[in-house]
Amino acid sequence: MHAVRFLLVGMVFIGSGLSLHAEEPLHVRIDTLIAAGSTDYARQAAPLASDAEFLRRVYLDLNGTIPTTAEARSFLADADPGKRQKLIDALLARPAYARHMALVFDVVLMERRRDAKVPRAAWEGYLNGVFAENRPYDEFVRELLSADGVDPKQRAAAKFFLDRDFEPNLVTRDIGRLFLGRDMQCAQCHDHPHVSDFKQADYFGILAFLNRSFLFPNATAATAVLAEKADGEVSYTSVFDKSKKQGTTLPRVLGGKPFAETPLPKGKEYQVAPAAKVRPIPAYSRREKLASAITASENPAFARTAANRLWEMMLGRGIVHPVDLDHTANPPSHPALLDLLATEFAAHQFDVKWLLRELALSMTYQRSSEIPAGAMDMPQARFLVANLRPLSAEQLAYASSQATGQTDADRLALGKNATVTAVDAKIAARLAPFRKVFAAQPGEAESNLTTTLDQTLFLKFGPTLRTMLPPRAGNLTDRLAKLKSDEAIADELFLSVLTREPSAEERADVASILATAPDRATAITELVWALLASAEFRFNH
Amino acid sequence: MPQCDYSCGTAEHLVSRRAFLGSAGAAAALGPAGFANAFAARELNKSQKRVLVVFLSGGVSQLETWDPKPGTDTGGPFAAIPTSVPGVHISELLPLTAKQMHRIALVRSLNSVSDDHGRGASIMLTGRVPEAGIAYPHIGAVTAKLLGSDANVLPGNIQVLDRGDSAFGQADATFLGAKYGAVSLGEGKPPADLLRPASLTEESDKLREEFRKKLNDRFARSRRSAATEAYTESFEQAERVFRRSDVFDVTKEDSKVADRYGRHPFGRHMLLARRLLEAGVSYVKVSHSNYDTHHENFDFHIEQLGEFDRPFSVLLDDLAERGMLESTLVIVMSEMGRTPRINERYGRDHWSKAWSVALAGCGIKGGAVVGKTTANGTAIADREVRSGHLFHTYLRAVGLDPTKNFYPNDRPIPIADPKTDAIEEILA
Repeated sequence: MHAVRFLLVGMVFIGSGLSLHAEEPLHVRIDTLIAAGSTDYARQAAPLASDAEFLRRVYLDLNGTIPTTAEARSFLADADPGKRQKLIDALLARPAYARHMALVFDVVLMERRRDAKVPRAAWEGYLNGVFAENRPYDEFVRELLSADGVDPKQRAAAKFFLDRDFEPNLVTRDIGRLFLGRDMQCAQCHDHPHVSDFKQADYFGILAFLNRSFLFPNATAATAVLAEKADGEVSYTSVFDKSKKQGTTLPRVLGGKPFAETPLPKGKEYQVAPAAKVRPIPAYSRREKLASAITASENPAFARTAANRLWEMMLGRGIVHPVDLDHTANPPSHPALLDLLATEFAAHQFDVKWLLRELALSMTYQRSSEIPAGAMDMPQARFLVANLRPLSAEQLAYASSQATGQTDADRLALGKNATVTAVDAKIAARLAPFRKVFAAQPGEAESNLTTTLDQTLFLKFGPTLRTMLPPRAGNLTDRLAKLKSDEAIADELFLSVLTREPSAEERADVASILATAPDRATAITELVWALLASAEFRFNH
Repeated sequence: MPQCDYSCGTAEHLVSRRAFLGSAGAAAALGPAGFANAFAARELNKSQKRVLVVFLSGGVSQLETWDPKPGTDTGGPFAAIPTSVPGVHISELLPLTAKQMHRIALVRSLNSVSDDHGRGASIMLTGRVPEAGIAYPHIGAVTAKLLGSDANVLPGNIQVLDRGDSAFGQADATFLGAKYGAVSLGEGKPPADLLRPASLTEESDKLREEFRKKLNDRFARSRRSAATEAYTESFEQAERVFRRSDVFDVTKEDSKVADRYGRHPFGRHMLLARRLLEAGVSYVKVSHSNYDTHHENFDFHIEQLGEFDRPFSVLLDDLAERGMLESTLVIVMSEMGRTPRINERYGRDHWSKAWSVALAGCGIKGGAVVGKTTANGTAIADREVRSGHLFHTYLRAVGLDPTKNFYPNDRPIPIADPKTDAIEEILA
């Protein structure tokens, strides 16, 4: 009896332990798993970021810009211990969140390809709606992968296909990279030479959903829509195979089950039969099966890739890194964590805001980017010190507008018409020069590792930044010129541009420059420039 | 699989980066070409290879240049003249160039397969016919990457255009990365924003620079990565290019020299090209417009080639005189040739099936002629080559192995089209 009772107690204990564990919010479990990945966690992990560092980071990550001087001042002065959580919730609720996510996902999904068949405004408007309504991520992806461009209401969603000119190999490759975490380009011609998990059959399994489809009436028409034939199989031989054995496959996602087909009787293959100037509609559409097959729960790569990409967006590096090379020889830095994020994201109906909120609430996200004294250089993949990330072209444009007070001046000039949309439209109009210099070429990955000469000259002498500096009612140099003391100037300057207070040393520097410069107004302008051109401004830290 | 994590930010990485940047800085401080004396500069010029492309935009006529067919139904009004190489004749529109023939090799049997301007230019500059799913880098980006030296502060890929503004492009570098993209000097103007704007005095610039550096030093005390390091270093690099902005200014040349090149834009641009090559720029392309002569082909070629002939031959002389010709490959190309058939408007139309390209200098056997067209030039008679063969030849001429690969994203991409190979007959 004793033994049984003991066992029962034990079971209750274990049971409650489990349920307690399961009730812990995701952000707590993230921190536990990051800590578990390091033996010397306590010594190596950076302390929590200061309020100022956190404030700047979370603004850039969730709203794509830096806070106004007034917002920064009030957050730093707020004594509420729950203020970080309140700020995260506030940022997620703002229109700027949807606008920022739209710009981020535009780059992720379209990689700065030319807007040929779906105009930019329609596409950005569509993405904005997706994130403003917080539509489940799987539902969003299903919409992208099932849109054929015929219905005007869903034409914007068809951009993923249409502005790749529906080049089947390109679409196959990008579905692999963006939604399955696998860049299977090599697998087009043979099993991947270095990556044993990337099989030629997997590549052609995806291609088989697509290869019967084509652009109608032709690939170059701006009004082209997708159409599909009722026949056409994929076949492949490996360029390494001397015997040239032909392989073929039905539509299939990774290792999953192929979509079996019952041959249709002759003459019944089409709902609308092909003819000159007629868009054919097959009785059985292979492409129609694609969207749900990619997002199905039987395909764990989908949730895993989505979670990994959102993690990368917030933490500056994927748990699987690079995010499109998920395979056994390139394991995740924190396997259990990636599994947890994927499972929980799916269990929460792919609620993007929920996941971003949990990530932002974690101590892991909120750590300082300053390497603790005595700790060695910290590998990025350990997530013990916040990673430094250069601002995207868009973040740089928005943050520069805010820092220089261009945005404040716009708001002032708009007066009672200063709606969020109206102010945003002013900045959007100034995005182009930043994109021209800081964004990647169409179809190429954004590179954050090098700085090119034109980028530096753009910041150093270029007219775009320079024209933001001179005094204009309500902008930063205008406000600074009206301040009496050097100390007040230093404070306003640092808070506005770098979202922090200056150190004593920096206050002294500002005072000495103002004292030596022949012309105070010019000195103020160039002080603003120096802060804008600093690494601290250029990077999200 | 090989891991290549550039953002590792390890201490070793930073140290080696510093060492390289340090040496680059030291070289730049020593004045023109970064060397203390002319002898060292000459040695550098010998060992460091460069490429100059003279691009005759619009499609130059092979019949009015390198492969004349006088007295035939397609030949047009111009005679063929003897050159410095016995037995080799070129059009009488190129009298000065004819005297340079012992330095020049001709390929008279090129089939570049496209009669379209854009596609033709891409085929000629990438050595490949465009394929879906991959964009190949242009010869300028390829040579900037493979021939460039860390010791040179100037951009490695510069094109002098006869139109437009100065601009930075990346499109021609594709997977090689923006660093190797062409810097365009429209009308020979210096790179955009290289010069300090009038509203910023030298003194203010100095003050603000000092403060910017202080801020960066403070930031780097506790936060450091390869990317932040590269960012702060890029301002030093821009400063070094700024200090050498004279290179872009042809008015620094003696007026007699400028007269020799000719006072027209193309003359100035060829002189600018010489200055850039001298300063160690790996690749310079000078465009000369416009040869798209659907009307009045003959009048236009008199005019255009009259402008081309002198600066081109003067540049070859200048390079030879400076000991630079043996290390500089010079290519005269176009996006296509022109039809042998003369149309009803006395014009010639687009033609890719049988035309010519000229090469000179580094690695080239002067006076060699490869390939032949039929008597009236309407077809290739011997030794057909494609742009891929030329691409192999360019790289071999400057001592590179075109059969090696680039590895963007770990995927091997042959530098030159593996279906073709070099034209050995014209390689020295």
